[in-house]
Amino acid sequence: MATLIHRLEYAGYDFGPEHPFTPARLAMLLDLIRSLGHAAPTVAAPAATREDILSVHDEAFVEMVEALDRGEARLEAGRFGLGTQDNPIFPGMDLAGRWLAGGALHGARLLMEGADTRVLQLGGGLHHAQKDRAAGFCLYNDLAVAIRAMVDHGWRVAYLDIDLHHGDGVQNLFYDQDRVLTLSLHETGHYLYPGTGHIHELGTGAARGLSLNIPLEPFTESESYLEAFEAVVPRALEQFAPHVLVVQAGADAHFADPLGDLALTTQAFESLYRRILGLATEHTQGRVLFTLGGGYEAQVVARVWTILYLTLMDLPIPEALPEAWLARWEHLLGPEVGHTLHDPVPAYPEFPGREERSRRNRDVVDRLLDSLLRYWF
Amino acid sequence: MLVKEMMRKPVTVIEVGATIGEADQLLQSRGFRHLPVVDQGRLVGILTDRDIRFTTSSLCPTPRSGTDSVTLAMSSPPLTADPLDPVEDAARIMREHKIGCLPVLDGGDLVGILTGMDLLDALMTLTGVTKPSSRLEVALMDQPGELARLTTLLANRRVNIHSILTYPTPDATVRTVLRVDSNQIRPLAEELRGAGFTVLWPLPKSSQLHLTSKPWQP
Repeated sequence: MATLIHRLEYAGYDFGPEHPFTPARLAMLLDLIRSLGHAAPTVAAPAATREDILSVHDEAFVEMVEALDRGEARLEAGRFGLGTQDNPIFPGMDLAGRWLAGGALHGARLLMEGADTRVLQLGGGLHHAQKDRAAGFCLYNDLAVAIRAMVDHGWRVAYLDIDLHHGDGVQNLFYDQDRVLTLSLHETGHYLYPGTGHIHELGTGAARGLSLNIPLEPFTESESYLEAFEAVVPRALEQFAPHVLVVQAGADAHFADPLGDLALTTQAFESLYRRILGLATEHTQGRVLFTLGGGYEAQVVARVWTILYLTLMDLPIPEALPEAWLARWEHLLGPEVGHTLHDPVPAYPEFPGREERSRRNRDVVDRLLDSLLRYWF
Repeated sequence: MLVKEMMRKPVTVIEVGATIGEADQLLQSRGFRHLPVVDQGRLVGILTDRDIRFTTSSLCPTPRSGTDSVTLAMSSPPLTADPLDPVEDAARIMREHKIGCLPVLDGGDLVGILTGMDLLDALMTLTGVTKPSSRLEVALMDQPGELARLTTLLANRRVNIHSILTYPTPDATVRTVLRVDSNQIRPLAEELRGAGFTVLWPLPKSSQLHLTSKPWQP
């Protein structure tokens, strides 16, 4: 069982009709969960306060967001990553960002109070937001706000990022903090946004060895991904002994995602979720806070995150998608759509280079572990 | 990018009157490998840690000791650079002569030193990621207006360019590597392909990895 955090205001985090990070993703998800016969009651969390946001962001940045939000023209907006193709300015964006940060923060509080051990925030996961700038669709770093609160509570926090992209914002915000372990699996930044997340980014000062990155080859498939996960994540958690796990559960590592080239199937996501819950049982007394994240293919995100929800709630995973749901969302799903919750098996025809990619991923993991040995023992 | 932007200053030097042992101490304590030798402020030679190791080795035909003068181990006269030289000119001199540093002289005054490490810094600054960005690699036809056509397309989509690097290739195209402030590099690459550009990276999505769906935006 898990507590679900969501409120309708999350739909206000909307960069406009041309933008891939659309709130329709959340609407489709909730509708799918409920169409499967689950009431899925949600907790409506309060918005994060300005002070909460300032626990991880610079005041100059927050002031810029507020000014632009009021409709003021500011030439320096671009310097704060605002008014770009990725982060257009929209009315109400300050509050929209604070709703999402408030949700993650509320989830953290439920864990700290011991009210629940599993929390799923249906939204957020804005892992690219930096101390002093918006980036990559992310305004306020909801994950970092929640992590900060739990660190202040005296906890050691392990952050696990399975989004397609490197979790650079969270990594940078805690790069020198020895009470936060950041772990990110992502498609290599040699080409893909944000260009970071290399194995040599290991943290600094007392936190050396507490920033871990597993950059994977483009077109990495499920088996190789899970192998890399297994080689690093359990050992890292064993070493760090966290009180809580925070998971950015982006769904854009799916093979059909239009923004990237990792090639996970829905079955791989399910395995990953179950493994993460197992690791939480093993290392954090089951305490885990999940947020959503990236994921830009209409036929994929609702299915992947519904599997996440069902897994967290210990519910069985049905085979078929409800016809009524398919009909309601046909305008986004398209006319030719699968009718199952999981991908078909096999999900796609084999394509060449699998062995080579897996070997390269193993090399990367070995290099990472070699460089970590001196900090771990 | 000019030498004066990438050089180290102020420069640690040693006087001609010093001994090889003193020079070695200085290099060791500072973690340097190159030491300009000066005579009343005027540059007269360069001494490297390798010079010291060789000259004091039994393998040297005329071995020196730590108490000998630095002038017996230094290279003289040294090659130098001007602060206003482009870094690539300095790199060419260092590469051609296979040397590890260039003292920088301005009107006879030693104002800085440029080492191979500084050239690596220059390379990282020129190509590196200092802000979150994606990498786009395009083979442009080697003719006027191609780069302009590319950057205009990016500008029209409000995509900011962090860096552009171009280099010629044997097949007479100009390889152009851009770091752009966008998380939406794949849709952008498809658009560029649609506009007739040869995009080398990101690759087109493997045809096997498509669902039978229409795109996200109807």
